[in-house]
Amino acid sequence: MCGLAGIARHEPRGVPDEVLRRMAAALRHRGPDGYGIYAGRRVGLAHTRLSIIDLVSGAQPLTNEDGRIVIVYNGEVYNYIELRRELEPLGHRFRTQSDTEVLVHAYEQWGERMLERLNGQFALAIYDRRDESLFLARDRFGVRPLFYALHGGDLLFGSEVKAILAAGEIAAAPDPAGLDEVFTFWAARAPRTPFRGVHQLEPGACARWRDGRLTTARWYALHYESVAAEPADALATLDTLMRDSVRLRMRADVPVGGYLSGGLDSSITCALAAAASPHDLRTFSVSFDDPALDESDFQREVAAGVKSRHAVQQIGRREIAAVFPEVVRHAETPLVRTAPAPMFLLSRLTRDQGIKVVLTGEGSDELFLGYDIFKETAVRLFCLRQPASTARPKLLDRLYPYLAQGTGGAARGGEFWRKFFLAAAAPGDPLFSHLPRFALTSRIREFYSDDVKREAGRRDVVDELRQSVPSGFMGWRPEHRAAWLEMDTLLASYLLSSQGDRMGLAHGIEGRFPFLDHRLYEFTSRLPVGSKLRGMHEKVILRRWARGIVPPRVLARHKQPYRAPDIPAFMDAGRPGYVDEMLGEPALRASGLFDPAAVGGLLRRCRDGRATGFAENQAFVAILSTQLWHDAFIRDFTPPAPLPADRADVRLDDSAAAPPSLEPLLH
Amino acid sequence: MTVDSVLQRTRAYITENFLYMRKDVQLGDADSLLERGVIDSMGVMELVQFLEKEFGIHVKDDDITEENLGTLAAIAKYVAGKG
Repeated sequence: MCGLAGIARHEPRGVPDEVLRRMAAALRHRGPDGYGIYAGRRVGLAHTRLSIIDLVSGAQPLTNEDGRIVIVYNGEVYNYIELRRELEPLGHRFRTQSDTEVLVHAYEQWGERMLERLNGQFALAIYDRRDESLFLARDRFGVRPLFYALHGGDLLFGSEVKAILAAGEIAAAPDPAGLDEVFTFWAARAPRTPFRGVHQLEPGACARWRDGRLTTARWYALHYESVAAEPADALATLDTLMRDSVRLRMRADVPVGGYLSGGLDSSITCALAAAASPHDLRTFSVSFDDPALDESDFQREVAAGVKSRHAVQQIGRREIAAVFPEVVRHAETPLVRTAPAPMFLLSRLTRDQGIKVVLTGEGSDELFLGYDIFKETAVRLFCLRQPASTARPKLLDRLYPYLAQGTGGAARGGEFWRKFFLAAAAPGDPLFSHLPRFALTSRIREFYSDDVKREAGRRDVVDELRQSVPSGFMGWRPEHRAAWLEMDTLLASYLLSSQGDRMGLAHGIEGRFPFLDHRLYEFTSRLPVGSKLRGMHEKVILRRWARGIVPPRVLARHKQPYRAPDIPAFMDAGRPGYVDEMLGEPALRASGLFDPAAVGGLLRRCRDGRATGFAENQAFVAILSTQLWHDAFIRDFTPPAPLPADRADVRLDDSAAAPPSLEPLLH
Repeated sequence: MTVDSVLQRTRAYITENFLYMRKDVQLGDADSLLERGVIDSMGVMELVQFLEKEFGIHVKDDDITEENLGTLAAIAKYVAGKG
């Protein structure tokens, strides 16, 4: 995996070599194995490389034969071998064995439509010297990030916001709408970010910059069109797709390992990876001191079953608090939970064990309706169809049994608990499934300072989401609407980034996601809801298929959400000094985002051990992480020193390309 | 214990523990704690613990309803009725 960055100039005044080396330095963690730049009059590109495919000659930026198409690229296109076989007979000559070079020629051959042919996870920037334009694109599900900012007709872009800031041409400021989205959906929705004037390309989107203007378009969109009955060959199709998806994702010139949570999804990916791997599979897990969060019993069972060499990262409260500022610096956004921190520690362990690439189970819960929110949606609708029924609402008490531990139990909350869910939304509301969660998360906004509250009152991010659902949305099954919302608001913007890309690449670890093969998504999007969620049973067809692949005990398990300690991680007597500093009145006044009296009230309840509910745990983590984020990027952003010029593997400029006037001589 | 004293002590508790971040909210005696977003299902459990400790009563599971605990006035009436 890699990092990319660059600047496109409205006027051809060049991008200094030193600026590009500083942008590359900001992304060094993503690509510790090498770096390169292209310093042209119109466009400058920077790339940091994590070598995975073609370790010898895959350095970037890379050009086509005549140097008129220049690419920097972050990701993997798994079907690059098949694409190369298509391109060679069409006259394209290859100098390397890399997937990057396949993209250059694919772009030459098919233009922007090449994206539809790619199976993979990628962000790319292609400088097309033929018309001095720049083409940006991001994969279908947004596995790999791409941020950009327009500044006086110039375009600055990068895999992370810190690369854009490192150029020293724009200053960071909070975006109130972006913060509102984080404190409603858990993350800002693309194209928004928490930074004013900094945007992210949407998943499945591409953009063309030319003459100082940027035009964006979607090249892939999520869609559901389920059939009435499960096709007779559904299991066979699922089997083919799952195995092929894993087979493609084992392509690498370094050993591929696996993250193992102990749940169904990663047990499947690890089992298939072990069968396909030429090496002994390496697996990696997090284990929690808190037995309510720990799944190590299941992890050990699966690891033994697939005969992997297994390594465990133990997580207590102190480990989370110790790395949390670094986690925020990598995530580049306020967080509403600490769950990214264990993933940060896990990628460090994985790197230290010599592995660069891991398969993980992300995406399965979205595709096969695994999350509790889908059951919650079905149960709420079931209750609202018979409002007078007193028996139906009792199903809600069964929804979150793990929350009952140590609280006296949700069942004791009885009527109140049920009413919270049943009164939260009308069935005809496009956001029906998610409004209870949005309402709960939005309580963070009650801690805003008066200034931010005034600013926030001018917009309604929930209604913006409501207005942005695709045409035909209300014709989909309610569970599929919920799946779309889950993917739109959370998958790319939080799970694949704050818990995924940013935590893995903090230590040069590339995650690969067999469940996010678009062929598999499209297959599941056409299945009837009942093939995925039936009553209170989730991932029905996946469980049927996985018999004989994962241990029976794992197969019989119900989904356990991945959680990490929140407030308790920061309340130990030996907590790091930054916690009190960041939540103290001077720091709160300096950022101006939260009301010091309200935060003081929260701290009092934390010290008294009373702040045990969701709302206050989210508020605490949100406020602390926002303060850390503000401190790292807005109050005191220090650009890194440029990478040394003599260490670059690639240094190109416009002379790498044949000048247009010489073109006739070359033919 | 009078209805009024239960009401005042409960109001002080709710203000300090559930409304500390919403200084602009004026809570009326008949305002629904649930609909105004003052208390969620977790908050109900905390409130019940407070009532049991503060007023030395036992709240049965079946008593945890909106009718008994849905507003400040309802709480005062319910608790005073137990005393």
